[in-house]
Amino acid sequence: MESRSEQFKNDIFEISAEAGDARSGVLRIGDTELSTPNLLPVVNFYAGGTDASLYGGGIHRTIKEFMNGDEVVNGGDYSRYFDGVMTSVASLTDYGISRERYEDYISEPIRERDVFDFDGTLFLDSGGFKFLGDSRLDGSDFEVEVDQEAIVEIQRKLGGDVLVNLDRPIAPDDDYPTRVEKARLTAQNVDEFLNLTSRDDTRYLTLHGYNYSMLDTFLSEVEKVIGRDRVHREFDGVALGSLVPLKDNKEKLITAVSDCREVLADWGFEELPLHVLGISSSAIPLLAAVGADTFDSSSYIHSAINGKYDTSLYNSEPVDDVDFSKCDCQVCSDDVLVKRMEGDAEYQKDKLGAVAMHNLIIQKEEIQRMQSAIQSPGDGELISYIEQSLGREKSMQQHAHRVVNESLGGYF
Amino acid sequence: MSTTKTPQVNEVNEFLEIASDFEDPLEVIRESLSNSYDAGATEVEITIRDRPIGSEIVIEDDGEGMDHADLESFFDLGNSTKRGRQNGSIGYKGHGTKIFYKSEEVLVNTTKNGTNLRAQMDQPWEKLNNRTMPEYVLNEEAVKEGNSGTHIRITGFKSGHGFSPASLTYNKIEHYLKWKTLAGSTGHFFTDDFPEMEITVTLGDEIDDTRDQLVMNNKLEFPTEQRNPGEGQFSESRMCKHYPPRELTVETENGTKTTVEVVGMVGGKDARNELPTYGKHSAQFGVWLAKDHIKVERVNDTISHDNEFLHFFFIANCQDLELSANREKIRNKSSPVYQAIVEELSHYLSKIASDPWFKDYLSHRRKAKLTRRAESQQSSIEKREQRIQDRNRFTPSNDAEVVLGLERSNRFGAEPEITVEDYDPSAEVNALVRQDTNLYASSIHRRLTDHFKADKPLESVDKIVCWSYGDRDELSELERSGYHSGEVTIDLENDRLIYNNGRRHNIHIVTVQDRL
Ligand SMILES: [Zn+2]
Repeated sequence: MESRSEQFKNDIFEISAEAGDARSGVLRIGDTELSTPNLLPVVNFYAGGTDASLYGGGIHRTIKEFMNGDEVVNGGDYSRYFDGVMTSVASLTDYGISRERYEDYISEPIRERDVFDFDGTLFLDSGGFKFLGDSRLDGSDFEVEVDQEAIVEIQRKLGGDVLVNLDRPIAPDDDYPTRVEKARLTAQNVDEFLNLTSRDDTRYLTLHGYNYSMLDTFLSEVEKVIGRDRVHREFDGVALGSLVPLKDNKEKLITAVSDCREVLADWGFEELPLHVLGISSSAIPLLAAVGADTFDSSSYIHSAINGKYDTSLYNSEPVDDVDFSKCDCQVCSDDVLVKRMEGDAEYQKDKLGAVAMHNLIIQKEEIQRMQSAIQSPGDGELISYIEQSLGREKSMQQHAHRVVNESLGGYF
Repeated sequence: MSTTKTPQVNEVNEFLEIASDFEDPLEVIRESLSNSYDAGATEVEITIRDRPIGSEIVIEDDGEGMDHADLESFFDLGNSTKRGRQNGSIGYKGHGTKIFYKSEEVLVNTTKNGTNLRAQMDQPWEKLNNRTMPEYVLNEEAVKEGNSGTHIRITGFKSGHGFSPASLTYNKIEHYLKWKTLAGSTGHFFTDDFPEMEITVTLGDEIDDTRDQLVMNNKLEFPTEQRNPGEGQFSESRMCKHYPPRELTVETENGTKTTVEVVGMVGGKDARNELPTYGKHSAQFGVWLAKDHIKVERVNDTISHDNEFLHFFFIANCQDLELSANREKIRNKSSPVYQAIVEELSHYLSKIASDPWFKDYLSHRRKAKLTRRAESQQSSIEKREQRIQDRNRFTPSNDAEVVLGLERSNRFGAEPEITVEDYDPSAEVNALVRQDTNLYASSIHRRLTDHFKADKPLESVDKIVCWSYGDRDELSELERSGYHSGEVTIDLENDRLIYNNGRRHNIHIVTVQDRL
């Protein structure tokens, strides 16, 4: 029998506290450290940028200014909200990009760029969900054939701390043979991914499925292609995907994540960190309570773009109706930024960028509360956190109860 | 020039009005029980007779009795002495006893501190209706110290339509007392020094001669717990779980706080039938709001509508509820505190509805309720023709076509030959098939997974005939989570399904697709 240290080459994840199925710990990747559960804001580092500045692109640009603490956003230090960041190879596809700009964009790792002062953990998703239809990265006058090799190359060039294989997400109405086929194709990418990367990289394996059996089938397919040994030894974490179509069905999300934890336990992976791809905001406390460790979210930006100012994970107000004095976050405490949010701004991005930053802070603070609830002794704190945060929201109540019943011992 | 004027009260009209709110002779008993309780009685005896001269209701208790002041307040309006030995005395504004005015005679005989008082009031109702205040004659007499108690006799009570004492039965009274009076108090769940009271009711034989009397206490008690299902077709019907007393703190938006004391049970029909019920369950179960731990009104919409309130019996007591004069209704429904109470209750009950036990109970119930329904395939001839043209090989589009497919496979020489001898799509086990010389109880479905989706039993099935398996992950989920509280093992290699629910059932799976 192998010892654990042989089994996991670098123990990047240290769990320090558990409450029910929820856990809190530290992810150490390279010289970065991320406490969990945690939420990684999705940042688009390209966003139409040119060499002159990597600061193109509306609201995304403002977010990067906040990351940097630039004078343009009044110079505050917001770096703690960017302790970990998710970006996707697919973010390149959002813009009509020329070959030259593409080459330029990937020419230097993000964290080494002078224009950035970013020292958090960088998750680099493969963007499999975007390439599902046609496997091409579309530029205005060129095309890059997207395969596993190209993705790893981009991930490396951008300097990702965590790399994720190129995957084939499933859809809720896929039948069994389709899911098996997608798992098989993903497994082939996984095989290549492992060949292209090394044990010095931090590698996450993507899993797709909505319940135990689907996830088990998926893992079995991966095992068939890459072998039992590699499936057990090579990965540092697991990323659960394909949940975006279920994002409005909390019931199914909870099942998917809790079953995923169960599958991982049965496969001997229970100590690997579990990332949930693309599911954010109001589902986070529920999913963290059943055992997800990290999340990524672009909802802070999307809300802002739609003029929504979040007052909690579950509620928002139209930004033009907001009384900013009611929030004591760093953005709303900054007179200059408040003025912009009130509409005294030259560009929409200056107004909505600040709103996005506020929204992100709301989400980050919530996950912070979650962390401390898990860290305090016993399950009681987490139960009362869930009670107070979700249990009082009519739409969330049933789910909160389910989590308390299934993961935290129940009420009666 | 200004003058100050006080609005005048017409006493007679006031008495008439209040007494008119009471219709049911049982309300006389409810008020008397509350008075006896407040007087610290440990025993109350109630006797009701229907005599040719009119009805007679006698209430006798061993409480501390009444002195002059108490007796005055008994007859006066809006002058309750609230002399209960504890703060939670029940008399409300002294209105309750005014029901006694609705009679031909009220006689009160009470002893306290060595003094016996006897008050007799003649024709109170007739006098009130003639717009004169009825008076009572009071006699005082010294008696031995140490005796105390009250004896009240109401003669010729004027019931409302359909409320006459003659219509009473022991069943009806027991239900009324346990549901509507302090005989059904939930106070004992919340305090260690709950004053117990024995209540004896005797009905004259001319009213109900089915038994001699009815004896009960003043505690609401739930049927014993039985968390596991029983045997038989309705295995959930005696299931019962108690939800122990909880104090919920309710805060209104303006910051005032109150406490709701809630206790209850969830149970099946047989369990609920162990409670003294009368008439329709739908009028009795659900969530009750209570004051003084006496149930007043139901708020069944605190249970989300996907859960039938009938399975629930919860009593939520709050002293900040204000009642109408006849205690039948809650008066402060528009107050923030009432809103907050209801809100908090909904929240609490949603926890109960999410209790895994309750979900298990419901699934037993669903199983029991399983209806035998035929799958009716409604589709037009054209569509069906089109479908046949579109498919390049035979695939069944409904269960019956699986039968056709099976027959076809026999014709083409598939082994073993399996023939359908009897097919009843509406039956729980929808087919009998013959293989060799034996008959097998069988379930025929398009997909193996459909058998489970239709919630069909496995115990009585020898074979499941299907066109194909369906989603294998679905089958794996069944193996993982079980089916109808048994374990399922599916061995597709050997076309076998093993179901173990204490007994082991071997089920042969016939996949028609593979035979063609
Ligand atoms: Zn703010």
